Amino acid sequence: MPAVSVRHLAKSYGEVAAVRDVSFEVEQGEIFALLGPNGAGKTTTVEILEGFRDRSGGEVETLGVDPARRATQRWLRTRIGVVLQELAVEPYYTVRQVLKRNAGYYPTPRPVDEVIEMIGLKEKADDRVKKLSGGQQRRLDVGLGVVGNPELLFLDEPTTGLDPSGRRDSWDLIRRLASAGTTVLLTTHYMDEVEALADRVAVLSNGEIVASGTPTSIGGRDSGAVTIRFMMPEGVIESDVPAAVTSVDDGLVQVVTDDELRVLHTLTGWALDHDHVLMGLAVVRVTLEDIYLKLTRDALNSDEVHGR
Amino acid sequence: MSTSASVPTTGSFNGVDDLKMVVRQVRFEQLSFWLNPLGAFFTVGFSTIFLVMLGAIAGHTTIGSGYGKVKLVQYYLGGFLSYGIMAACFTVLAQTIVNRREVGLLKRLRLSPVPTWVLLSAIFLSTIFIAIIQMVILLAVGRLGFGDYLPTHPLAFVLTVGVGMLSFTALGVGVSTLVPNADAAGPMISIVFFLLIAFSGLYFPIKPGSTLANISGYFPVRHLITAVLASFNLPPGANPWAWHDLEVMAIWGIVGLFIATRRWQWSPRRG
Repeated sequence: MPAVSVRHLAKSYGEVAAVRDVSFEVEQGEIFALLGPNGAGKTTTVEILEGFRDRSGGEVETLGVDPARRATQRWLRTRIGVVLQELAVEPYYTVRQVLKRNAGYYPTPRPVDEVIEMIGLKEKADDRVKKLSGGQQRRLDVGLGVVGNPELLFLDEPTTGLDPSGRRDSWDLIRRLASAGTTVLLTTHYMDEVEALADRVAVLSNGEIVASGTPTSIGGRDSGAVTIRFMMPEGVIESDVPAAVTSVDDGLVQVVTDDELRVLHTLTGWALDHDHVLMGLAVVRVTLEDIYLKLTRDALNSDEVHGR
Repeated sequence: MSTSASVPTTGSFNGVDDLKMVVRQVRFEQLSFWLNPLGAFFTVGFSTIFLVMLGAIAGHTTIGSGYGKVKLVQYYLGGFLSYGIMAACFTVLAQTIVNRREVGLLKRLRLSPVPTWVLLSAIFLSTIFIAIIQMVILLAVGRLGFGDYLPTHPLAFVLTVGVGMLSFTALGVGVSTLVPNADAAGPMISIVFFLLIAFSGLYFPIKPGSTLANISGYFPVRHLITAVLASFNLPPGANPWAWHDLEVMAIWGIVGLFIATRRWQWSPRRG
């Protein structure tokens, strides 16, 4: 049974459709990312899965139960952990006090000291929350999300506002949780976060999933064309180059091809035979960001055509 | 790790365990309140210091007018007892709810396994507890510092204080749902509150039938002050069972409750 199952989910606020016909599944033990720009419907989708918000249509199951069903909501909440976008921590408690309080809400919590160690705040355990840096508060936030020992952890943009080292620490923590069997559903708009963490990703744009797959294959990324770039050698004109040149811009030659090995072989052979130097020779594969921007732009254009 | 095949359908009440959770949550609410020195000072310290100061400066002046030879400090004691109820149950409660909603604390609690009724009961009981501490301190100051000033009708006092706490708590929760964000909480709640208490007779007796009395009579603050003073037999001969005042406060409380149930939000309003 999947940890999360979503079929044809829809949510409207009055006339405005925030989520339209969204379907996906998250397997147990998987790190699944919902990627999308602000306002794409990521948080709304997650809030419906948590049972925080009611849906307008579709079928949803979180850990095998409908999160909107009041009778099982309390059971469900003992098994999920949530890290919100906001820094939701009381300023006057100490780190240990706030973790101890929240641990008491759950039937089988993680030991508080273990959580403090896990989030790297051992030295700050008896400091007031208001004295922590932004990054440390964010880590405490993650600690509050995992103190209940959840089977499924929702992370809503968990590294927004963190510095690069804080982000790396958070990623390590998320990986450790996942390797211990916790299913993780995270929302983000950072491509590197998806590439570093996610087993699978779904791209949301304007309330719809426009693509899904692994970060390395989404949008045909693994099978698509590559771009070979180099500076035009001195005294050479475009027609001399033994490949189908896509563009020459300020001396930079770009050859877009599906057959990178053969084209490279031809080009380097030609350069050696004629003593040409191919300055800045590089093979550029399409990035997740390229795919993401294309997918979200296409989706927006399609919406404009359909008048949505 | 796997999901259990049979999911227990638990209700919102789990017996003694939940009651223990209320007590535990009240303890943490109290800790949160007392750990914030500024908040604790403006609720509990402020009224005590004002009573001591005003009592020391002008306390032995007689009020005159309808109050005859009653000393001003007696009047202030009743006034600041009312202030204590309003500060704890209305101002502090409303601001706390707005702040918690805006930073996501209410949402986080909502997503924990703790039932809503446990969370709200704990907030309510903690608020009442703070108001009671305030009452005890002020009554002790009144008795020990300025003479034998205690309510002449204790039962009427308890009833008045009880209705006041319930009504102002309901109003506090109701008003918290009308405040759009944390930045607006201070101006909207505190300024309105301080203006109302100033014009409702906290610092000086208002002549019955005057324009000020008529205007402030529409609001619950004046009725709380009047009802508390009545239980101290102020002005002399006043009916300690101030039913009309209690009635007006209760109506405001019901309005607050109605707004609260209609507009309650666990997370900030967007857009």
